[in-house]
Amino acid sequence: MAIDDSIDLAALRRREERAFAALVGLHHRALLATATAIVGSNDAEEVVQNTWIKAYSALPKFEGRAALRTWLTRIAINEGRMLLRGQRREMSLDSGDDGQPLADRFRDNGHWSKPPVTWHDESPDGLLMQRELEACLRRLLAAMPSRQRAMLELRDAGGLEFEEICNELAISASNARVLLHRARTQLYKLVDHYQETGEC
Amino acid sequence: MLKCREIVEHADALLAAELSPGRRMAVRVHLLMCRHCRRYVRQLQDLLRAVPQMHGRASDAEVAKVVRAVREHDKDA
Repeated sequence: MAIDDSIDLAALRRREERAFAALVGLHHRALLATATAIVGSNDAEEVVQNTWIKAYSALPKFEGRAALRTWLTRIAINEGRMLLRGQRREMSLDSGDDGQPLADRFRDNGHWSKPPVTWHDESPDGLLMQRELEACLRRLLAAMPSRQRAMLELRDAGGLEFEEICNELAISASNARVLLHRARTQLYKLVDHYQETGEC
Repeated sequence: MLKCREIVEHADALLAAELSPGRRMAVRVHLLMCRHCRRYVRQLQDLLRAVPQMHGRASDAEVAKVVRAVREHDKDA
């Protein structure tokens, strides 16, 4: 089931409060995470509040060409940019270089020394939303170099296309792919360890 | 024959259907023979499906705060 399947688009375009509240419920925290990756945690709340205000007034014109999450993420990026401009700041994201997160899982000959375990809960609802994993996931994302974090939030959580993200973050396509790969493998390693041990 | 480490490196491109035909074939051949890499790719796919929901839903209080602020702004506008 897609994330927006429970949303009544027609009611949303009419800006009915119930539909709007459902939209906020589904996307607010993801937008906060995206805004945090772009402007930092101190200003993220303000960016997301402005995002909702803009989105609310634009809802009657929402055509549904992009997924709602993607549409909202684009508005959040714009609001983030405006806030940074107002503060005479630029988007400064650190790349970090923490190597290959799964490097220690291979032998010298390139084959697995410690292959992934079989995950028990593979549903989108269950995999990353277990209570015990929540704090670990938050820590992992907070410790991630900000460009990696931004790639994960914009591409995998926000659904933006690679080209659009490269323009927004001013990075090359090959760099973007490396950053996304590292972010994903860090996440994979966290879940794999959790699935094996029940802790992280 | 590709090594498991290389399968992990190519897995993103495989799932995004961005591999060249030759490379895709080489990855497929490896996957036919290696259950660990099959598991890796299948679970990566599951993980990517889960990422959009990883931040969870906002609480009723968070939603109410947003709705209130938007309504106030709309009234002033």
